[in-house]
Amino acid sequence: MQEISGRHADGSFVSKYQELKDDGSTTCGSWLHAGIYKDGVNQAARRKPHTEQNWIASEWGWSWPANTHLLYNRASADPDGKPWSERKKYVWWDEEKGDWTGLGDHPDFVAGKRPDYVPADDATGAAAIRGDAPFIAHPDGLGWIHAPSGLVDGPLPTHYEPHESPVDNALYRSEQRNPTRQRYAHEANPYQPTSGSPGADVFPFVLTTYRLTEHHTAGGMSRSVPYLSELQPELFVEVSPELAAERSLEHAGWATIISARTAIEARVMVTDRIKPLRIEGRTVHQVGLPYHWGRRGLVKGDAANELLPIVLDLNVHIAEYKTSTCDIRPGRRPRGPGLRRLVEDYRRRGHAYQEQTEPRGPRQ
Amino acid sequence: MTRQTPAWPDTYGDEAHARVGFFTDTSICIGCKACEVACKEWNQIPASNQGFTGESYDNTIDLGANTWRHVAFVEQRKSLDAGTDGADLALAEVAARNAAADGWGLQTYQDGDGLRWLMSSDVCKHCTEAACLDVCPTGSLFRTEFGTVVVQEDICNGCGYCVPACPFGVLDKREGDGRVWKCTLCYDRLKDDKEPACAQACPTNSIQFGELADLRERAEKRLEQLGDAGLDQARLYGADDDDGVGGFGAFFLLLDEPETYHLPPAPVDTTRDLGGLWATTAAAALAVGAGVAAAFLGGRR
Repeated sequence: MQEISGRHADGSFVSKYQELKDDGSTTCGSWLHAGIYKDGVNQAARRKPHTEQNWIASEWGWSWPANTHLLYNRASADPDGKPWSERKKYVWWDEEKGDWTGLGDHPDFVAGKRPDYVPADDATGAAAIRGDAPFIAHPDGLGWIHAPSGLVDGPLPTHYEPHESPVDNALYRSEQRNPTRQRYAHEANPYQPTSGSPGADVFPFVLTTYRLTEHHTAGGMSRSVPYLSELQPELFVEVSPELAAERSLEHAGWATIISARTAIEARVMVTDRIKPLRIEGRTVHQVGLPYHWGRRGLVKGDAANELLPIVLDLNVHIAEYKTSTCDIRPGRRPRGPGLRRLVEDYRRRGHAYQEQTEPRGPRQ
Repeated sequence: MTRQTPAWPDTYGDEAHARVGFFTDTSICIGCKACEVACKEWNQIPASNQGFTGESYDNTIDLGANTWRHVAFVEQRKSLDAGTDGADLALAEVAARNAAADGWGLQTYQDGDGLRWLMSSDVCKHCTEAACLDVCPTGSLFRTEFGTVVVQEDICNGCGYCVPACPFGVLDKREGDGRVWKCTLCYDRLKDDKEPACAQACPTNSIQFGELADLRERAEKRLEQLGDAGLDQARLYGADDDDGVGGFGAFFLLLDEPETYHLPPAPVDTTRDLGGLWATTAAAALAVGAGVAAAFLGGRR
């Protein structure tokens, strides 16, 4: 932690990222965390009660960067550096001191930069940001209502349904799904039809995956730790009592969850925590799967991620890993060729398609 | 003031420390199980995988030789036709919310919709009147200078008398080892002025360690706070010197009846009636003796 926080050449601790130099005279493991060990004290472990400091509580724990509790807090003052109102004052310009001051939070602005500062035409970096522009992480120092450049879609946010969804896009009828999404044609990656298309009713349920506290991501690290493995030893699938009744799923028994990619098995957890959704007048059931298991480790199990389609967002190329559609039936999955036959059957009945063969329609 | 067990702390003379313990505030437990893991790591307790239990997110089930902290997960469905006590208002609210959710066409799990997910980290209670300690024939179980109850692993001979003596089922013999193991309230850490591993690991301060008198005071305040917030079923469990075990060294704030958390509602020191039992037995033996004597004496006539 001390290394992450960083030191000066004389060995003393840096107190904030603004002290870091690019000439080799300072060290730091992460600029965001520079100063977390200020004065040789673990700042994050501070626990001064609220009765002994003001409501900003800057001495309770530590927040990055530089223990800033409100980012861009120069915006709490008007362009001249005065508080917008007495009641809302937070950070303001102190003409006498020639610096920013406030109620106690770290002023999230270049120290000593006057509110009337105007950069020279050839200024770069932080020096190119005006004294009345608080959003210092943006190149122009201004807050943005939308992203004017850099995104392949937009500029305004909207809602799209996932690539595979049992419902129509209620917000935006003409575009069911994000038209810029990245798809892959591969025999192991057949897609399921979305709402309203033939075969969609073969995969009628919402499939969603999530984490448990006890494991880390896909479990590669935590499934080798005995004390974590015993706390969540097996893959389970969470369903509502209503879906359990509809599909004859037995609590603590086994269930097979099927998509066009593959079928996996999991122990059944029937719980009131999972509720059937009511969408457009009909009931849509959810199937919840933690995704921490795999073939190796102290505890093993099928991997929930194998059910999901490979569909990526074109801006940052992150897969749509949290939601899809599926079917669920009681009992364990078949082994060997039987598994393949089961999945083939679902692909055929469910009109699964590879990307280039996707049927064209009004939604494409 | 909390009640002291006989012969404690006087036997420790200058080494005696104010009685310490845990206040486990279940109202802020988030079920992360960090206490279970920290306890096992620090005390080097063997793993004991029981497989998938189906008991909500609880795969540990109970306290035992290999589990000294156990987080219970209770999925509680509030019935809408429950009685007409103080909880009635909240239930009406529940019904209104359910109706509203129907109207919106949305139903997801959220606070106040009739379902509660209670979490509670259980531990050895370190009773004021600890039956386990009284029945131990070897002196392995003893009360420390901190007022806690500890099994000494190098003295325990595995007789198991303490196992049925515990009114909570905390004491347990380790398979393949034979000896009894339980929470020591991290006796070794206390000796080094450190708080127990579970309390240090707890991210929400649901597990609070300290001097018992302070903890009781803090708990009363917290209970008041929760009462003001409308949680009128909240209660302290084991914070009463006059209960069956003379109060717990590790007590709890529960949001419902102890039974909801699979805890005994009125635990009793199992040695409490031993004196009476022996007296009755002695009286019966005397009576039988007298009867037999009378029969013989009568026979001579």
